[in-house]
Amino acid sequence: MPVRFPSLEFFQALQQRTKEGHDVFEKLGYCDTRFGARIGDTLYRITFEVYECLEVGVGGDPAQLDFVLAAPAALWKEMIASIRKHGGAGIDQSLNTLTHLGEVMKVQYEDSEGHDKFYRYMATIQEFFDQARHLDVIVS
Amino acid sequence: MAYIAPKDYSQDPQILAKVMKVMGGELDLSWMRVRAGAIAARPTKPGYGLTLDDINQGSYGPDRIPEIVRHNFSMAPRGAVLPPGLPSLGYRLNRKSEVWSDLAATLFEEGKSRRWAPAHDVPWSALEASERGESQQIAMRQLCTGFVSIGLVCADVPARWVWQMNQEFHEVKYLLCLQMIDATRIAEAFRKRALYGSGALGVDSRELGELLKMVFDSGTYPCASASMNLTLFSWVQGLGREIAARASNAVDLFLGTRLTQDATRFVAYGVDHLKQLMRARPAEAESLNGHLDAIENGVVGWLGARETLEPLVLLAGGLGPVARFYARQADEYFERCAAAGLGDRRGRSPIPKLVSLIGG
Repeated sequence: MPVRFPSLEFFQALQQRTKEGHDVFEKLGYCDTRFGARIGDTLYRITFEVYECLEVGVGGDPAQLDFVLAAPAALWKEMIASIRKHGGAGIDQSLNTLTHLGEVMKVQYEDSEGHDKFYRYMATIQEFFDQARHLDVIVS
Repeated sequence: MAYIAPKDYSQDPQILAKVMKVMGGELDLSWMRVRAGAIAARPTKPGYGLTLDDINQGSYGPDRIPEIVRHNFSMAPRGAVLPPGLPSLGYRLNRKSEVWSDLAATLFEEGKSRRWAPAHDVPWSALEASERGESQQIAMRQLCTGFVSIGLVCADVPARWVWQMNQEFHEVKYLLCLQMIDATRIAEAFRKRALYGSGALGVDSRELGELLKMVFDSGTYPCASASMNLTLFSWVQGLGREIAARASNAVDLFLGTRLTQDATRFVAYGVDHLKQLMRARPAEAESLNGHLDAIENGVVGWLGARETLEPLVLLAGGLGPVARFYARQADEYFERCAAAGLGDRRGRSPIPKLVSLIGG
């Protein structure tokens, strides 16, 4: 069933993928963080515990999150399109590159320890978004 | 000289008599009547299994460790019944605030869970189709050479201190053993990266060597932790990100990402350790800041050395991108220093001058 991007349904589908693709996430190891993805003006909350995404939601207080990945909707859409096309984000479209080179995607945070969770769990978070390769996504 | 037990047990008549009684079926069982406190240790979150935090209850937990441990200098595990006459192992680090971090147990569990094996997990064959030019290939191997040195010395640093830590702080000792494995894996993985195919190691950097010597020779454990975990690994983490972002193949993307995640566990322990030390003994800030003045001078030497800067310029395609990387990494590093309770180090650190010089 197709899901629209960006939407809560998209993140719910990714959440389900962390259960169906349990082995992939178990291989990457523990991931314990509450972070956000700000797509345009909309904040999506994502909670990881152990190997799974436990909860996704819309809105909320970003100060309660470890970090927020913020970028214009167009950039997120390019990233999702790249994941769909290549079966995973290419180097140029990876979260690391987007936040490191030119900071076209901003990492917003209240404290450096929350910020560092992005780096500690980057491989898992990248895989979370890369799971979009298994979805029928309509980029709107 | 080796330690010699105070008794010759093989000739001790009391021991022999006791053994004879057991052989005759007469069990004393005095050890069974003296028991440490019982707890109900079960996994609280099944996904994690049974964690150190799950069993850290009552006298087994770290909450009751006093700031200065005077009751146990032996090998006895925390919470065990201590009979009289246990030998001292001569621990030198007996102050909790000198070593402690509430994150240590979590980082230890996480580090084991997020393990990876360079031999099998790195997609080495992707190097066969790498599109890098010759000079960039050599530049990457030069950076790898530095990471091998960093990994080897950073396995030595925790090894220098862990045996001096009181057993009461076993979570921190566990973590330091894991740090040795993590650092060794950095050395292993980047040595393999440099030598894969018809590769070669590069030129060793005197400036990097000076920095690593300063880190290794830190006079106290808090100084060693600040210089390795907070300072050195903040920059190693950034270099991991830089390698992943400049990657032209799946190997460098993988190695850069894993280097970033592993380095960040060092950073997380360092920040939390120093934060807790600053809360308990704020007067330590000045000596730590003084030590970091010297260490950051070493960082400037390392980051400015031709063996470091020029490969980064070649991989990034110019000095400008490297200047921006250094500037951002310095910002993040100084944020961590402040979070650790060391205050704003920008004014006293030589790093901003290097960033300005390179940034033009």
